[in-house]
Amino acid sequence: MSDPSQELYYLSASQQARLIKAREISPVDLMKASLERIEKFDATLRAWITVHAEQSLEQARKAETEIVAGKYRGPLHGLPFGVKDQMHALGFPTTLGSRVLDDDEMTSPYDATVIRKLSEAGAILIGKQNLHEFGKGGTMKFPYGQPRNPWNPGYDASSSSTGSGIAPAAGQCSFAVGEDTGGSIRGPASCNGVVGLRPTFGRVSRYGGVMAAYTSDTFGPLARSVEDVAAIMEVMAGHDPNDPLSSPRPVPRYTQSLGGNLSGMKLAVVREIAYVDGIHAEVRKGFEAAVEVLRGQGAVIEEISLPWAKWAVPLQLLSADADVASWFLANYLRDRYDRFDPGTRTRLAAASLIPASVYNRAMRARRLVRAQMLDAMRRYDALITPTNITPPRLIEDTREKIEDRGEVVSRLIVRRIAHYPFSLSNVPAISVPAGFSEKGLPLALQIAGRPFGEATIFHVGHVYQQATDWHNQHPELEKTLNTAAQTDA
Amino acid sequence: MEVTIEQVRVLSELQGLKLPEEDLNNVALRLSTWLTAMEQIEAEMGLQMNDVDPIPPVFPREEF
Repeated sequence: MSDPSQELYYLSASQQARLIKAREISPVDLMKASLERIEKFDATLRAWITVHAEQSLEQARKAETEIVAGKYRGPLHGLPFGVKDQMHALGFPTTLGSRVLDDDEMTSPYDATVIRKLSEAGAILIGKQNLHEFGKGGTMKFPYGQPRNPWNPGYDASSSSTGSGIAPAAGQCSFAVGEDTGGSIRGPASCNGVVGLRPTFGRVSRYGGVMAAYTSDTFGPLARSVEDVAAIMEVMAGHDPNDPLSSPRPVPRYTQSLGGNLSGMKLAVVREIAYVDGIHAEVRKGFEAAVEVLRGQGAVIEEISLPWAKWAVPLQLLSADADVASWFLANYLRDRYDRFDPGTRTRLAAASLIPASVYNRAMRARRLVRAQMLDAMRRYDALITPTNITPPRLIEDTREKIEDRGEVVSRLIVRRIAHYPFSLSNVPAISVPAGFSEKGLPLALQIAGRPFGEATIFHVGHVYQQATDWHNQHPELEKTLNTAAQTDA
Repeated sequence: MEVTIEQVRVLSELQGLKLPEEDLNNVALRLSTWLTAMEQIEAEMGLQMNDVDPIPPVFPREEF
């Protein structure tokens, strides 16, 4: 049997790019391989909502012509990618994974800035990817099909950039762009066994995105290696006049920060996240093994306490969710309530009732929680935790069915505890594959850095990937999907 | 803090949102949980919260 990691569709985007640049493969070969994977497996995986196959092939032929003519644009030239269907792309409907919009309301008015930049760099947009409704998480019934984990389709692929985690994990594209308000890139990256970055707020333009948590929304890449994510960020990042909250800071050459070891670096394990009540024993074991790998690469690793991190989940929900709810109250919630998924509409309805006085106090508390986080960042180069505190769960166990207060805490707070402290603080955080559960489902390491410290967390993540092989392991879909089908029968 | 179903119904209607009966308990549970958490946050951090402005960290200005 051939080694799956050597299949063209499972090479990292950086490896694919090197082959394209050397003209050992054509963008057309790669596009065909990606489209075949979508055609073959997406009836089960449901990573995609809209795919424009013919248009993508035509663009791949054009890229091939350019490259043969010596007009190589750079390391994204000819690479197929997808985006969470929460951002506009001309020619594609923006469904937002919802039945709330009428067909004529889904027309994209322009390209999101990230899509324009990636296209100018030569990457080819295949299509739009499945998501939890409006990117909010908690969807009970998906209008465009139930997304499934490629490692075992009975299991959850996380929220809310769900398809953007599945697709690169399944070899259906070279990379994806997701959106992370609370943990919506890192969760899917962790559950599907790929790398996912939540950038510093302001590092990547949000223009063209349909979201309303203006204090927390970020676009970021998901791909099969840290090197890929660094290369993609060199293109995606930067100031955009259309997004007044995007930063004017110059964009570093992130790929140049990769290499070497971790000598001289100080990392900290955040106790309140890494050892929180309810953490799964296999996650803890996998995380401790990852810590030892980092230590073996020369890092000094200590344990710290961030006692206010435990408040990040309610504070984010009391503030960012209230911002979102205020937008939806003015748009759709009053007059189309019954067209929302029950998981989305109850979350929005509750957030719409948060008093302004409470919102104000929550925003004050966010500053304190963030200050505690940044104080730790002054003493350490990066903070590390597991990305999720449980391995991926069965799909039916992840639905936010709320019938008593205990379920609110267990379903809404505990599962987010590893993500929200960094989202609330608006610092960059990356999820890197770090082993497997006993059931063969992915586990992951999260590395968080200082504001605009992406280069540092790329360096740590890349060193980890050079010392491990987790990112080179990929689901054998013929096997996993067939096994599931037999189990279901 | 316990928010009742009736309170949820009235508050929602005040802002023009009519919730179906089957959603009221869910919304009340969520809101009760967040407001209870806020009470705990006030108890632990309230004095310090008085001394900071509620500025969102949307444009990081730290020294990093």
